[in-house]
Amino acid sequence: MIRTFGWNEFLFILMAIRWTIALSAIAFIGGGIGGLAIALARTSGDKVVRQATAGFIRVFQGTPLLLQLFLVYFGMAVVGAAINPWIAAALALTLHASAFLGEIWRGCIEAVPLGQNEAATALGLKWASRQRWIILPQAARIAVAPTVGFLVQLIKGTSLAAIIGFTELTRAGQIINNATFEPFTVFSIVAGLYFVLCWPLSLLARQAEIRFARASAR
Amino acid sequence: MTTTSETAAEAPRKTLETAVRMEAVNKWYGAFQALKNVDLEVRSGERIVVCGPSGSGKSTLIRCINQLEAIQSGRIFVDGIELTAGGKNVDAIRREVGMVFQQFNLFPHMTVLENCTLAPMKVRGETRDAAEATARKYLARVHIPEQADKYPAQLSGGQQQRVAIARALCMNPKIMLFDEPTSALDPEMVKEVLDTMIDLADGGMTMLVVTHEMGFARRVADRVIFMDRGEIVEMAPPDRFFDDPQHERTRTFLGQIA
Ligand SMILES: Nc1ncnc2c1ncn2[C@@H]1O[C@H](COP(=O)(O)OP(=O)(O)O)[C@@H](O)[C@H]1O
Ligand SMILES: [Mg+2]
Repeated sequence: MIRTFGWNEFLFILMAIRWTIALSAIAFIGGGIGGLAIALARTSGDKVVRQATAGFIRVFQGTPLLLQLFLVYFGMAVVGAAINPWIAAALALTLHASAFLGEIWRGCIEAVPLGQNEAATALGLKWASRQRWIILPQAARIAVAPTVGFLVQLIKGTSLAAIIGFTELTRAGQIINNATFEPFTVFSIVAGLYFVLCWPLSLLARQAEIRFARASAR
Repeated sequence: MTTTSETAAEAPRKTLETAVRMEAVNKWYGAFQALKNVDLEVRSGERIVVCGPSGSGKSTLIRCINQLEAIQSGRIFVDGIELTAGGKNVDAIRREVGMVFQQFNLFPHMTVLENCTLAPMKVRGETRDAAEATARKYLARVHIPEQADKYPAQLSGGQQQRVAIARALCMNPKIMLFDEPTSALDPEMVKEVLDTMIDLADGGMTMLVVTHEMGFARRVADRVIFMDRGEIVEMAPPDRFFDDPQHERTRTFLGQIA
């Protein structure tokens, strides 16, 4: 039986946006924590730590996100955990975001002049204090724009979680399309909703970039 | 020999008058040897000026004293404490030694006052009130008390370097290291920074200063060191150093900068 596309169908899709937001938020927070750890490891004085994290980043940057989702999803079965699209999607996207944010933030940390770290060291500040008070606050200013830019990529990336059966925006669209056979209407609405989600962030990123350019021109 | 005297013989010779002692220090950057068998003893209250051509190892020499650079062999004592590679003593020594850099290296995201209070609060555990009181005292001493709430970018180069000096002094160091403190300054600002350093010297601070300001060296230095290719070539009181240098390399260098 073919349903016609109506208000209820639209609401079904619209409501699914919360799962896209939830998944994005989890991946962003998890990736933020993981990414900070990776960025600090990548810029540490310890060669083994640096190289291990470099390997992690290379793996996640060198493989498609879709395959990362598959590997985590099916990997859960291999290690004997119950297959759960929620956990698999959250874990895969968190790892993915950790690698990318780690690499972005490594660059921001390395952009802080070496003399800053030296002056702080000469004053007797230990590593953690140097990061907390001197390096990271300066790196953070440079990081805003590329970080928001990556967040936009991440939100769009959550659509791939539909393939492992996670019902977010894209999957909701597929479900409605299977019932209504109005793919153009359905996927236009889905795309429109992604746009509404991402566009303000893109604006924010651009604004941050302009503000940073102005601040550093001073 | 008694046990006691053996211990005494093995203990680092801690003479109160010795601020810094370097014994046969060698430093490599990869395959390049930046310091060659350097011996140096700086007495407490002494002012040493270090000069020499670019790349001769002047920065490396003073950066080894507070372990911004690690050495590969030899021994360094600071205030009687031996620096052990990566050991606990590093922290103790950095608390005794202040450093001023060519590029100022002020923290741009903090006000002048915050620049001066951060380390006393985080390293020495001082309260904000105590740290601010100390900071204002030293900012007054370098003649910029009114700039406390500005950001470094709002100050002139000379003012920034004086903040950097005040920031180091806030940690109450026994020894101050200066690495070409006036080389990045516009000529008209050199004097205000040198005057600050002279004031510090007159107050009895132990100072190691890498500089090519020969007027400053004559006025302030107890000894002038000439370095070339990682070695201390000549070391003498300023009168003898400038008027009667013993080594050809020193003469050539002095001829070039005069
Ligand atoms: N981090 C480093 N890595 C490799 N070589 C270095 C490093 N720092 C300094 N050097 C080299 O060591 C030598 C001495 O440097 P430095 O102590 O900075 O000289 P100076 O302060 O007298 O100009 C120079 O040849 C310089 O190129
Ligand atoms: Mg130098």
